[in-house]
Amino acid sequence: MSIWSWLKLSAGLWLLRKAVRIARWLLLFVVAVVAWPLTLVTAAGYVTAWRRGWPPARLRGAAAWALTGAGVWLLAAALRFRAWRTAARAGVRDWQHSWPRVGALFAGHWGQVWPHAAALATARAFVLLAPAAVPAGLGLAAVLWAWRKYAITTGLAGITASAPITFDARQWRRQVGTAKDLTEAPGAVPLLGRGGKIPVGGTIRAVGHRWDPVFALPSEACTRHMVIVGATGSGKTNLMIRLQAGWFTANLDAARAGRGNRPLLVVLDGKGGRDSRRKADRTRRLLYGAGAGRVVVWPDEAALSMWDLPPRDLAVLLYQMIETGTGAAAYYADVMQAVLTLAVTAPGGPPLNATSFLDRLDAKWLARAWNDGRHRREAALAHAAAKHLADIQLRLATLLERLGPSLDGPGTLADADAWYFILEGTREPSVAQAQAMALIELAAYAATNPYGEPRAMLLAVDDYSAVSGRVPLSNLYERGRSLGIGVQVSAQSWQGLGATEDERYRIAATADGGVWVMQTPHPEPLTALAGKTRVLETTRKLAGKSWGDEGTSREQRAWTADPDLIRRLSIGQACYIHHGGATFVQVARPKPSPLTLLPPSAPEPPPVQLPGPRHEPAPWPPPASVDLDDIFGPGAV
Amino acid sequence: MSPNPFAALGLPERPDLDDETVRAAWRAIAVATHPDRADGGDLARYTQATAAFHELNTPWGRSEAYADLVEQARREGRYNDYPERYPGSTDPGTTPLPTIPARAPLWLHLVSPWRLVFAVVWLPPRIRRGRPLRLLIRAAVAAGLSLAVLTLIPGDPAAPADVAVLITWFVLTGRKDLAPPPER
Repeated sequence: MSIWSWLKLSAGLWLLRKAVRIARWLLLFVVAVVAWPLTLVTAAGYVTAWRRGWPPARLRGAAAWALTGAGVWLLAAALRFRAWRTAARAGVRDWQHSWPRVGALFAGHWGQVWPHAAALATARAFVLLAPAAVPAGLGLAAVLWAWRKYAITTGLAGITASAPITFDARQWRRQVGTAKDLTEAPGAVPLLGRGGKIPVGGTIRAVGHRWDPVFALPSEACTRHMVIVGATGSGKTNLMIRLQAGWFTANLDAARAGRGNRPLLVVLDGKGGRDSRRKADRTRRLLYGAGAGRVVVWPDEAALSMWDLPPRDLAVLLYQMIETGTGAAAYYADVMQAVLTLAVTAPGGPPLNATSFLDRLDAKWLARAWNDGRHRREAALAHAAAKHLADIQLRLATLLERLGPSLDGPGTLADADAWYFILEGTREPSVAQAQAMALIELAAYAATNPYGEPRAMLLAVDDYSAVSGRVPLSNLYERGRSLGIGVQVSAQSWQGLGATEDERYRIAATADGGVWVMQTPHPEPLTALAGKTRVLETTRKLAGKSWGDEGTSREQRAWTADPDLIRRLSIGQACYIHHGGATFVQVARPKPSPLTLLPPSAPEPPPVQLPGPRHEPAPWPPPASVDLDDIFGPGAV
Repeated sequence: MSPNPFAALGLPERPDLDDETVRAAWRAIAVATHPDRADGGDLARYTQATAAFHELNTPWGRSEAYADLVEQARREGRYNDYPERYPGSTDPGTTPLPTIPARAPLWLHLVSPWRLVFAVVWLPPRIRRGRPLRLLIRAAVAAGLSLAVLTLIPGDPAAPADVAVLITWFVLTGRKDLAPPPER
């Protein structure tokens, strides 16, 4: 073959390829013009989805809803024409008749048809065909938009090689804008949605999760373990309050409908200070708006009595609240535990308050209490521990003094619908830790007390790291799981979740209610929980100083929850990781409905619950002989 | 993996065992059953014990395994097996954790007549306390287009269909402009 004939063949093939391509576009153009109502709707749907950052699912949803029109059309046509075929023919006839007028409108045959008449005829044709054109057009737009996204992200489309990056960044901005618009609407994100779900905010993006405009969580997820991690100022508090109020509303609703127990919300705020009080006030107003009867802020407004705990649990709690050492100190720890058990479980009942408890840490009291002839072992123990009692009493007195009167009663968790506990974890960490231990113990008792009203319980701990020194989170989870109460914990960072890497991983991996990650500098361990998704990675060959049209594609694994995206999250944006998927959400600020009747502006004063005429039980049997020291004091005789 | 890792290591079913006890139990079984022994050992027993050891190797693992056993006993009604958890051989009444349903049950979506009545009664204040202007604009657009449709194609079957589409659009997009109902 000569060079000339090779050139001719190449040019011919090139022309043929171009001709086929042009013919294809022409054919497409003709089809688009012929089916002009469909083209109009498709174009409108596609452009809207592109401008608003909608996923194809939203267009598919709109198409599904528009099918109601098609249904009504078929029904009305069948009623009028008495036959489906005639009805269908009528639609086709309308479309055919619209053509001369549309043609006139676009061709400008002003002499034949007046422009406004042509426009009217075109509009008439459109509305005649709209019942079928709207759902079909939106469906087609969904397909085209899905293809466009696929083509861009896999490198099949886009002018430059960086097109996937710019496309994704632009779409993210638009998705955020759409989600923000939605969260600003008053009725889009209420405290409780349909089906008992808790709406959280507008969905920005969903990867591996079902997409809905408003992301809503089943309230059952809050009865599991949930972890929230976000830096200060990332909007963590808003999210927690929304989840708590949503859970409360869902459970109150279910209880009123006879489908569950009344809710009891217990919030432990480990930070303390003025901020915590502001948060408490916000939570309270929201819960009143959600229908709560009484919300109490502790220790400002009410007290609890840890002396109501079962004696054995109380003894263990008191022992755990005291710092004990190791090595030689372990001996004294054992002595202390034995003494505490003797003091608390003495015949006649547990102590009523701190004063009566401290009174019991006395050799004579213990001897009188246990010397009844039936408790020889305990009496011997009390005798053996006598020389340590003064030290133990001093330590316990110091501890109870530091804890303050707010755990000395009166009051029980069952007295309110929600308790907001403010622990001064920043100012007095050791006291806050001891208080947290006591409060968690009281919550556990409230959950299992066979004589109390069964309640659905959620234990939420804000800034857990401030009080986690004595109660490891793993322990809290384990207890929550065995007691059937939901545990919601927030921390400012991955490191705040636990003391060791091992513990952090266990906590995150067992958060079966989901993990919320907000703006944080080190999200990788948490995003790893969502796993990776299979994506196509396309490369492009460089031809000189520009990209050529050749390249390769290969399957790769990419983060389901992109850590870099999480690092760049703005205030109020969160990523919910659950079940191998991730949903990015613009969290809506929780607000009570303005229609809630008579929201109390201030809580009612707590009912006065003075301890009844209970008296310190007298040890039994009474002492055989009265010690004169008891009457006259030591050394009087 | 053994259904009861404590039994596999011959240990009492307690969550507060220490690491050394668990390790000692495993070592004793491993020495007696290792496949490298002259008598061939007992591979099945060794594997079972090793799997149990890995499960109970940490305090967290032990507490989880114990919780699983207690939960299983509760499901099977074997309260006597764990008297410390079930005093008096009865279930103390803790509610087991519900499973998270993928979708809300169908009956939750059914609307009672009373709820409908309340929805209608609350509608005016919900409009007033929501975004009434936006709602009004939406309503005006839907009404105007519906009128146009009825004028353009009076009596045609497509007219009610178009109006149905417009009403659907109005209801779906207008909902968010209403204030939430009380206690929501």
